[in-house]
Amino acid sequence: MTEFEPKIVSFLCNWCSYGAADLAGVGRMEYPPNIRVIRIPCTGRMSPKFFLAALRQGADGVWVSG
Amino acid sequence: MEHMGVEPGRLNFSWISSAESSKFVDVVKGVTETVKALGPNNNFKKAAKVA
Amino acid sequence: MITFKLNGKTVQGEEGQYILQVAQKYGVEIPTLCHHKALEPAGMCRLCTVEVFDGRRSRFVTSCNYPIWEGMEVKTDSEDVHQGRKLIVELLMARCPDVPIIKELGNKYGITETRFKKQDDTCILCGLCTRICTRMGNSAISLTGRGLDMKVDTPFHIQTEACLSCGACASVCPTGHITLEKIRQNVSLDPFKSIPSEYDMGLKGRKPVYVPYAQAVPNTPAIDRSVCIHFKTGGCKVCTEFCGVNAIDHEMQDEIVELNVGAVILTPGFTPFDPSKFDSYGYAKHPNVITAMEMERVLSASGPTGGHLVRLSDHKEPKKIAWFQCVGSRDMNKCDHSYCSSVCCMYAIKEAVIAKEHAGSDLDCAIFYMDMRTHGKEFERFYNNAKDKHGVRFIRSRVHTIDAVPGSDDLSVRYVSESGETLTETFDQIVLSVGLEISEETKDLAKQLGLDMTEGSFCKTTSFEPVSTSKEGIYVCGAFQGPKDIPQSVIDASAAAAVAGESLSSARNTLTKAKEIVPEINVTGERPRIGVFVCRCGINIAGVVNVPSVAEYAATLPFVEFATDNLYSCSQDTQDNLVSIIKQKNLNRIVVAACTPKTHEPLFQETLINAGLNKYLFEMANIRNHDSWVHKTCPDKATQKAKDLIRSAVAKVALTQPLKESDLQIKPSALVIGGGLSGMSAAQNLAQQGYETHLIEKSGQLGGQARNIYQTAKGEKIQEKLPELIKEIENNKRISIHLNTDLTQVDGFVGSFKSTLKSNGKEEIIEHGVAVIATGAHPLEPEEYQYGKDPRILTSLELDNKLINDDSMINDLKSAVFIQCVGSREPDRPYCSRVCCTHSIDNALELKKRNPEMNIYVLYRDVRTYGEREYLYKEARGKGIIFIRFSVDDKPKVVIDKGRMVVQITDHILGRPLELETDLISLATAIIPNRDEKLANFFKVPMNADGFFVERHAKLGPSEFATDGVFLCGMAHYPKPIDECIVQGKAAASRAVTLLAREIIQTSGTIAEVMPISCSSCGVCVSICPYSAPSFIEESARFFPGKAQVNPVLCKGCGLCVASCRSGAIRLKGFDNDQIFAQIFALNEAV
Repeated sequence: MTEFEPKIVSFLCNWCSYGAADLAGVGRMEYPPNIRVIRIPCTGRMSPKFFLAALRQGADGVWVSG
Repeated sequence: MEHMGVEPGRLNFSWISSAESSKFVDVVKGVTETVKALGPNNNFKKAAKVA
Repeated sequence: MITFKLNGKTVQGEEGQYILQVAQKYGVEIPTLCHHKALEPAGMCRLCTVEVFDGRRSRFVTSCNYPIWEGMEVKTDSEDVHQGRKLIVELLMARCPDVPIIKELGNKYGITETRFKKQDDTCILCGLCTRICTRMGNSAISLTGRGLDMKVDTPFHIQTEACLSCGACASVCPTGHITLEKIRQNVSLDPFKSIPSEYDMGLKGRKPVYVPYAQAVPNTPAIDRSVCIHFKTGGCKVCTEFCGVNAIDHEMQDEIVELNVGAVILTPGFTPFDPSKFDSYGYAKHPNVITAMEMERVLSASGPTGGHLVRLSDHKEPKKIAWFQCVGSRDMNKCDHSYCSSVCCMYAIKEAVIAKEHAGSDLDCAIFYMDMRTHGKEFERFYNNAKDKHGVRFIRSRVHTIDAVPGSDDLSVRYVSESGETLTETFDQIVLSVGLEISEETKDLAKQLGLDMTEGSFCKTTSFEPVSTSKEGIYVCGAFQGPKDIPQSVIDASAAAAVAGESLSSARNTLTKAKEIVPEINVTGERPRIGVFVCRCGINIAGVVNVPSVAEYAATLPFVEFATDNLYSCSQDTQDNLVSIIKQKNLNRIVVAACTPKTHEPLFQETLINAGLNKYLFEMANIRNHDSWVHKTCPDKATQKAKDLIRSAVAKVALTQPLKESDLQIKPSALVIGGGLSGMSAAQNLAQQGYETHLIEKSGQLGGQARNIYQTAKGEKIQEKLPELIKEIENNKRISIHLNTDLTQVDGFVGSFKSTLKSNGKEEIIEHGVAVIATGAHPLEPEEYQYGKDPRILTSLELDNKLINDDSMINDLKSAVFIQCVGSREPDRPYCSRVCCTHSIDNALELKKRNPEMNIYVLYRDVRTYGEREYLYKEARGKGIIFIRFSVDDKPKVVIDKGRMVVQITDHILGRPLELETDLISLATAIIPNRDEKLANFFKVPMNADGFFVERHAKLGPSEFATDGVFLCGMAHYPKPIDECIVQGKAAASRAVTLLAREIIQTSGTIAEVMPISCSSCGVCVSICPYSAPSFIEESARFFPGKAQVNPVLCKGCGLCVASCRSGAIRLKGFDNDQIFAQIFALNEAV
């Protein structure tokens, strides 16, 4: 069996973590390819509905970062 | 959340400024490890999809 | 076009192409060791052998140099081909048993042992090196000998001058047989040098074709002609073979471009001081003595060590680092720079703190300094934290000698402590905090332009016109004007633009071209027809992600009408192509899978507008920064991620609706609050740039604190200059002056403010597009040092007043004592008031001038005469003014006894108590902002703990607020001297004009909207919004009274109100619930 590769839905703030993710790219820093990013305007936009929906739809993890 | 059957660790929060690319990478690694250790999300997934 | 069969599949290639080329285009892998895209194939390694069937029989040919022909049938994977390849690999394994790439091939073909006799060669005679050498226009090496004796060699087997040590051979060698070391020892007579990367301070090499640094603008590579082989031999040009869009032109020539301009702004900056001339610091000798600029690169995540803190000699993690301050500053003996470089204390503290963050708390950081100069906004707090929280050691001592510790790379430092002991300490690494210096080129430029220069070779300016050079029409900003840090440079830059703008305002918009507006197509109600464009970004994306398969996949997604891949989606031709595809295929939603929307979204949105689509019918999938760049070791997973991201973007874009941006007229007028020097400078500039300006002042006269100051640090008499400026302001027809006026009410927002002014009981409402806050500061009323008990104890400004009025008391003095930091740098007021050291020394010198016999003492904690103000400090010491240091917990005491006034202090050198009898005490009182909560509330602008206003960005936005349309200058921002106040006044005006000149601004489309039917009027949104965008509709309104509404101008689209709305009545356009849900669902779909 291949190793379990979790699927992690990530909600990143456009101004903070999304920028950090961009910068990580510019720096060619490697990290595990398990996250899938949804850009939100600000973590203020986050509602529990979103991460519950993600988990319910089968995501193995949710990460919210401002 | 735990009450509803979501293990702590499935849901992660962090704060990273747009200049902290290395912190970003560290957090991604951390989150991926945490979720990996928990194994697949079966408790909370829609029943129909578990099959 | 030639059509033939490749592994049974029909494929096409161009006439003259070889099989290998066509196979690579179709993604069919054929192994090869001797092929290089830029070189003619030679068929040397035989690994690429394939089977060709011509209708009658099969033959084995090397695919790299076998041309294609119509109707041929090629098999790259047949059993016979494999057998042949296996044999070749086995033979190679015998020849080169230890070469990794051959071992890898062996693994691939299942060969662990070779049946042939093993040799120990590393060269497979593929000839790539000799062919590339020829291509370099050089032929320094070739294949010599025949049969078994064949090898790569130089003529006559001797080192040759013909070799330019370009390293091309080493770069193409597949086995690692040729190394740079070997070239140096056996091949070339040329002294071998790598090209130092300018950006990485030479700590890393760079290529002849290079992008100066990752964030360079424009981010296109350049060819360095001084090192490029093509410009030496006429050969090479290999880069042109790899550029997919033929962008490289080696024939380009330097051009002289003549521009007709009305003003010139000089911003040549500085160069870091080169410490190699200092023998005592051994910078040239010891690898572990580095400059602060090198330290910056070592600490940088994108630097030569990837942000890993190691020392240069042995890549060991240092445990002890020392910083030496004032290397190349405040030093006449060795470098002839007696000025202070202003920035080094702060950057050294920053580096020490970052180093500790990188390396952990057991790293010992020590800073050796003379005076700690943290005079900038929030700097003193940073200094205190470095000391108290981070444990950085601050040692007041100037080290003069560094010795190598024998047998190690460590460095030994001898210094004299404050108590006079000689101490020796060993450090792993030493960082020289080098100063700022004007380069020879800049000095030449200044000479050519005929500009007056200062003693330190900076551009000479006056305090009242701090960005104007001695030549009319030529302005200056940044470090060329004087050593300064980023915020001050940014302020300068805005001011220089403003002053240049004064003379150019009549020409504004005379050279601008109006853009043609493409009418927007109404797509409401249409079924989504999505176009997906997957960008290769050269090899940035395509090198990792399988772009064709991603595009193919995208085409299968719901509502996708069209999907393709582009080499560079952002290039002009692709953009034009995009427009025509949108029109042709009648697309109404677009997804571009490329880089980050943060940089490229506006560009693609522009393309949509050009195609007649609303710019919000667009979504980007970030498959570069978030994918190919960070997952290059797992291409399959990266491809999968790219597909997921595109699926999510497609799901979202299908639900987007065209959004409207409304136009907002900017009223071409400004309100300046505060009639001091800063406010007057702002108002004057705004008016001269053509805008109606209202200048309001609480008191009955203009001038502010400047009325109380005798002279500037440059010796200009303020009371002569100030009336001139006030007169100019009064005579300016565009400025309305409102004295004795208070601001009682502010309504509106950027572009259309309505402010109520109250003056002598009368109220007046004025409308303005922008506001500048210049409310200034005042001196502290001291409660210590017996102030108020004796008329001879004065504050600095009281002394100034006596100087201005030429008070007779001044001229009879026998001695004077200046006490510094009265109320500044104290636990209650942990900031430095910036101006007092210079001011007191200036006044001390003035007293000395009036009465050279006078005894003058300055009691200080650190002397902070930054920049060229340092000359005053030097002059003061030269004239016999005595400086005595004290610490905050052992302050001087003032004793008044029977008319005798005595100051008691512990002498810092002798450690003994001293008594200074004096006729005058001048207290350098702290500068306290005119805290105005009401004003902060009116404009929704923040204040820090000390009561100074908080700017938009400490470094990059120092003269404006985060609130649109509101600007900031002068001492309301932070204590500052006259020249800096004037400069910031102009800077605030400059920032304001960038807005005023646009006349119309567009509000964003991605904003919150209330659906009043569902609104329960609970008010959560109104209280939670950081921008005060939501409000209640008036009770008297005809529709939906009492419900919430969102002001589209104030809304920043953060979505806080949306998430907090209990009734679900607010939606965020462009980030609607259904869109985010669609993304979540799409991401979780099993593929």
